[in-house]
Amino acid sequence: MEELFAPPAYEWKRLSPKYRSMRQLTSLVVPPVLLTIPAVIVGVATGRWWISGLIWAAAIVIVIVRLGFVTRSWRSWGYVEREDDLYITHGVMFRSLIAVPYGRMQLVEVESGPLERAYGLAAVTLKTASPETGARIPGLSPEEATRLRDRLTELGEAHASGL
Amino acid sequence: MTASQPPQPTSAPEPTVTTAGRPPGPTVRRLKQTERPHPLTPFVRGWIFFVAIAIGWGREIVINAGEDQFDAGGLTLILPILGIVVVLAAVTGFVAWYFTRFVIDDEELRIETGWIFKKSTKIPFERLQSVDIIQPLVARIFGLAELRLDAGNSTTKLRYLTRSKASRFRDYLLTRAHGQQASIRDVDQQAAASIFTDLGVSDQPLVRVSPQRLIVSFLISSEWLIPAAITIIIVVVTAAAGAIAFALGGLIPLIIGMLTLIWRRVIGMFNFTLAESPRGLRITRGLTNLTSQSVPINRIQGVKTSQPLLWRSLGWYRVDVDILGYGQGDGEDNELNATSVLLPVATLDEVELAIGRVLPGFDLDDIQLHAPPKRARGVRWFDFWTLRYGWDDRTLITEQGWFTHVRDVVPHAKTQSVRIEQGPLQRLLRLADVHVHTPRGPVNAVAHQLDEQTARELALSQLDRARAARAAERQHRAVQTVRTDDHQGEAELLAIFGTGRDQLLGAGGESEVFAIDHERVLRLYRSRHEAPRRTAAQLHGLYQTWAGSDIGLELPLILDMGERNGRFFTVDRRLSGRNFSGWLQHADLAQRRPALISFLDATERLQRLPSPVPGFARLIGDVAPQQFGTLVELLSSMLRGPLQSSRTQLERDIPAAAEVWNQLRGELAQRSVVPAVVHGDVCPPNAYISQGPEGPVVTGLADFSPHTVHADPLMDVAGALIFLELEPYADAAADAAWLEAVAVERHGREIVRWIDVYRRFYGFYFSNAYAFDANLYAWCLRQLNR
Repeated sequence: MEELFAPPAYEWKRLSPKYRSMRQLTSLVVPPVLLTIPAVIVGVATGRWWISGLIWAAAIVIVIVRLGFVTRSWRSWGYVEREDDLYITHGVMFRSLIAVPYGRMQLVEVESGPLERAYGLAAVTLKTASPETGARIPGLSPEEATRLRDRLTELGEAHASGL
Repeated sequence: MTASQPPQPTSAPEPTVTTAGRPPGPTVRRLKQTERPHPLTPFVRGWIFFVAIAIGWGREIVINAGEDQFDAGGLTLILPILGIVVVLAAVTGFVAWYFTRFVIDDEELRIETGWIFKKSTKIPFERLQSVDIIQPLVARIFGLAELRLDAGNSTTKLRYLTRSKASRFRDYLLTRAHGQQASIRDVDQQAAASIFTDLGVSDQPLVRVSPQRLIVSFLISSEWLIPAAITIIIVVVTAAAGAIAFALGGLIPLIIGMLTLIWRRVIGMFNFTLAESPRGLRITRGLTNLTSQSVPINRIQGVKTSQPLLWRSLGWYRVDVDILGYGQGDGEDNELNATSVLLPVATLDEVELAIGRVLPGFDLDDIQLHAPPKRARGVRWFDFWTLRYGWDDRTLITEQGWFTHVRDVVPHAKTQSVRIEQGPLQRLLRLADVHVHTPRGPVNAVAHQLDEQTARELALSQLDRARAARAAERQHRAVQTVRTDDHQGEAELLAIFGTGRDQLLGAGGESEVFAIDHERVLRLYRSRHEAPRRTAAQLHGLYQTWAGSDIGLELPLILDMGERNGRFFTVDRRLSGRNFSGWLQHADLAQRRPALISFLDATERLQRLPSPVPGFARLIGDVAPQQFGTLVELLSSMLRGPLQSSRTQLERDIPAAAEVWNQLRGELAQRSVVPAVVHGDVCPPNAYISQGPEGPVVTGLADFSPHTVHADPLMDVAGALIFLELEPYADAAADAAWLEAVAVERHGREIVRWIDVYRRFYGFYFSNAYAFDANLYAWCLRQLNR
């Protein structure tokens, strides 16, 4: 089972634990905030505040479920740099393993949003000529992200081949 | 090729012949004067304005006439406004035209536009991805055409030019885009030559789609029938309920959708012709707007054939291709845009013909297709029986779909990345999908619902195959870019022998081989080959020496040789069977092992061939036959050439190179052996395999070359084992190790040492591969680092 997604003869590198904290925060904050808006509207408009109560209850359920998944989801991420390609795995329910040959990389992006910066995180994205590749590693420490970017660019140049 | 030696088309008979309407080319180039598009451009571009004005005015009169009185007052008010609009439109059109200038010459492609905000676009020739000619209806009436240049993500339009000028620029730009040096004047001459000497080379139609077939196929295609059926049902139901007015909201978008479909699939694809031109395939199509589009074969990333349910009984298929840079969904949102449709509807024969051009050497029958395990029906209950996947040495295939059967073909060299996916239900059933990613386009190769283990093997081995294919392509390209003049005089020569580029069987550094018929092949020496005549004569002599001795193995034979158009060629006997390397890719273990044994047998049989000279000797080459007193002298002489070019590189990559070299010489000096004929490069690509009574057997060895010597027979035995590692299939290394064990069993333990010695020998011998084949060079380094 597990071996379906394991990299051949390598150990996965995992994401920074800060990424888990960040996801925990967003899981905790986002659903209640989002659902409060319809809850208040329904309550004010109809005066039936018990419906709003149900919506808030739903928000709490969503938070609990999401919190339960955060750790598993965080743990499901992994990447490894092999000689010729980069492997990335993730997903709890829908799992995937992607392999991108260095020779196929067109560009490597490092990005970091405001929240990610607050947590000291960055994401690395590998782009190939195929839009389906979707090789993105979130939740890296900035040093690791920069290292990975430089390493991948270097390898990309070494393996570069035309299309 | 440099400017000092202008390329002369070999057989352009009369350089004085020019195409009609050719501008004063030479003077334009010398002064670097820019050109403007055709003066009628503002009119053709502004025709919508004229039409709108005409309609508006016409309606005014009609409405007034309907009121049965002519309102002259209204007209006097409208006419001046119309006049101003017309003048303004004409002025802006004129200004846009006046300030658009372009240069297309031997040095650059530059387009300048804008009056107040000037814009100058310079497109490097090698960035051009496609050059298409588009003729909207009005432009067509005036004999004008738009030239559309695709470079990277930007499309530059040059409109309008006369048709002949547009096609001349297209030919020239496509030549340059292929990285070939050419002068724009040559294009004129070529065009002239093809008009006046009917070589039948340029623009031969391959497939024409008749209007009847196009319309019938459209009417019974699923994408038309479904919206049509929905429309009818809605109309009938709502009409019966007497509420048709309420359905309009839903019907109108549906009908608009159907009309666009007709526009795209019928009007846009009308008179669809796929033709072969000297610069690749070309598509012309369109009822109102005529589009002529070239299909850059080296940019094709994948092929998809699809067959809606009702086409099945008629045996029709639709073929789409992924073309790099054409992007945007299925690429036919706009009938003016480049299309990714290779054939809108075609019979199986036509499909095979077209695919043969796009993916040379692709043969579906050679590819073993596998079905997913039975339990896949749990997930794909609606079409599990249609799921297939398979691969050979060049392509990966996936099939799926019952309502519309789709087959995706992706050449390994074009694989971008690979993904394994597994959902919760699939996890329960131990199934997984393998996606092979290609650049944006219609092709979407997914091997659905494989057994987990198989999925993983497929994905990982696909990466290996893709890597090997990329390396091969790189090498091919390196050879190609260095020798762009290689096609000189080739077409005619191939035509004389009734063969063509599509019959290419194999290519090496020295020559290319084309099939003539089942008995013969044409070997065309590359024009850079230093002494093809001498090599061929030496090989001919060698093959003659062997003609009398039957060693149970087919060997090549030169039947004829000659020179034409500056190209040296030989006609060789064609070995029966198919290439062993290609066969190995998709043979399973049980088939491979006996075949490998027969490969080893064949190698050992070579020793029985008589040598034209006694003693250690090189049999092909400058001063061949060149005799040597000892084995080590001969082998040192063989290594001298390659090491001359690779020495610096080797010393950089292997610090102890000199040590390895001295040790190798020392060991070779100890080897005492009776010399025998050594092929020097017994690897699967040089072997041929046929079906024998007890399974596949290696029946032929070809491509004797300057590597062929009279030396230690163990060299070939070692070569057969160690070159096997270079084969691009997953278990090649394991097979090589196994075959080595077999050889050791046959010849005794002491050969282990000598195999190791010859590993290092060949590591040095092929080390000049660093310049053109990274894969082979890496292998060399592994041998030397052992």
